Amino acid sequence: MLKFLKQVGDYTKEAVQAAKYIGQGLSVTFDHMQRRPITVQYPYEKLIPSERFRGRIHFEFDKCISCEVCVRVCPINLPVVDWEFNKETKKKKLNHYSIDFGVCIFCGNCVEYCPTNCLSMTEEYELATYDRHELNYDNVALGRLPYSVTHSDPIVTPIREFAYLPKGVLSGHDLPANARRAGKLPEELLEEMQSAEK
Amino acid sequence: MSAGIDLQASFIDLLRGFGLTPGVAKAVWLPLPMLIIVAAVTVLALVSTWLERKVSAAAQQRIGPEYMGPFGMLVPVADVAKLLFKEDIIPAKTDPLLFSLAPLLVFIPVFLSFLIVPFGQNLVITDLNIGIFLWISLSSIAPIGLLMAGYASNNKYSLLGGLRAAAQSISYEIPLALAVLAVVMMSNSLSTIDIVQQQSGYGILSWNVWRQPVGFIIFWIAALAECERMPFDLPEAEEELVAGYQTEYSAVKFMLFYAGSYANLVLSALLFAVLYLGGWESPVSVSWLASVLNVSETTAWLQVITGSLGIVMTLFKAYLLLFLAILLRWTVPRVRIDQLLDLGWKFLLPIALVNLLLTAGLKLAFPVAFGG
Repeated sequence: MLKFLKQVGDYTKEAVQAAKYIGQGLSVTFDHMQRRPITVQYPYEKLIPSERFRGRIHFEFDKCISCEVCVRVCPINLPVVDWEFNKETKKKKLNHYSIDFGVCIFCGNCVEYCPTNCLSMTEEYELATYDRHELNYDNVALGRLPYSVTHSDPIVTPIREFAYLPKGVLSGHDLPANARRAGKLPEELLEEMQSAEK
Repeated sequence: MSAGIDLQASFIDLLRGFGLTPGVAKAVWLPLPMLIIVAAVTVLALVSTWLERKVSAAAQQRIGPEYMGPFGMLVPVADVAKLLFKEDIIPAKTDPLLFSLAPLLVFIPVFLSFLIVPFGQNLVITDLNIGIFLWISLSSIAPIGLLMAGYASNNKYSLLGGLRAAAQSISYEIPLALAVLAVVMMSNSLSTIDIVQQQSGYGILSWNVWRQPVGFIIFWIAALAECERMPFDLPEAEEELVAGYQTEYSAVKFMLFYAGSYANLVLSALLFAVLYLGGWESPVSVSWLASVLNVSETTAWLQVITGSLGIVMTLFKAYLLLFLAILLRWTVPRVRIDQLLDLGWKFLLPIALVNLLLTAGLKLAFPVAFGG
């Protein structure tokens, strides 16, 4: 009898506990309802890519020395470097350069290893096309200025990402224009390093 | 408590004024409330789909539908238009008769049950003296339809979903009926009007929640299970069964299932409000307020206010419960089938029985408070 009563007691305790947990869960869900939606309404609002964002690769034709380092460091030997040897000047002359962004994995090795810094990563990420062959960018397309979320289109409201928000702020919406992000800015770090060296 | 506005009597009087016999006048009246209720229920179900989308979005810190009409309110309309124009596919190797009949068997009982849902003293299609029992018996037709849908689809997911739906509905019907029985015992009537009237008088204090707290919870859990809402949505568990018994359905037939499930949810919420939250009664009794302010209860404008307040109150309570159901959907995880049956048979059923016994005992001991 005592054992049975204990069982009943334990069962009741568990049931009460379960109800308590469901109540807690409900209050969490309810609390979330009062928070501002974090939705970025894409075509009208866009997130500003981070400084380290690896977007479409930019290429400066005149700086290139056709060394083909980019091809060698590329995991799939993607960049196509079309050059010929100019016997008079005894230098390589670059004719065409292209990268197929339908195949590129945006690892950034080419940018890292380019001896003349003619390759660079941009913040452009809207590469969608109707035909995958259009993703094969030639040196003209690679040389175009990248689309910028902050400057290119007046209808677009740029929204800051989580890492670029002031401390304690969770949403990039309704930020004052001069709101500073948490931590030091890269240029400040650089300044500090330089003053420390002196 | 006065009778309030009697629309039927005044309408018939009006028609008799035009020289119609009472019989003809009544025949003209009869289809009106039915049509209004069917239209209203459709709108209520559509509103609840919109609410589901918006509240779900808010719970996940999203915005939800926004561009279709103000606050995306035209989304349900677009849904209906889309489903109406889609091709009605009956897959090969199904049982065409059962396949087509099943959605109707799920849909019609739900809409038929609105026969007994009161929105006011006289704002009900019929005041059946077996009202709430009619609802319980009608709601047990649905599992047959679900089973038919599952079987006729000739699809393993559909069959599993149908079987689960049947098992679930049958298990949770019993605690549901027992919880309702306790309320019925207190109000000495199966009629929904009588059940609400028994809760009137002291405003919020006289509602059944305070007298039936256990039954209140049992009813809510069982009603969620009957509607196949989130913690108990095993019959259509997306991750396991694609869409359960609905898998093979498209177009209008799918719409019938979909509308039926939301109408069922609205129905359960409405009946929940009627059984435990005083139906159309306001938290502060209107007749008491009238007597305090020295206004006669038969004053025309007061009756109009009382009537419309009743409708608003009923819907407000129902939608509050709907909101709770949607919140619960994003709070609790789905139970396993064995946990579901455990909860139904080993927890809710004994507790509902004890609750019933306790109610009976209390009714004998304190006939004043528990409706002697």
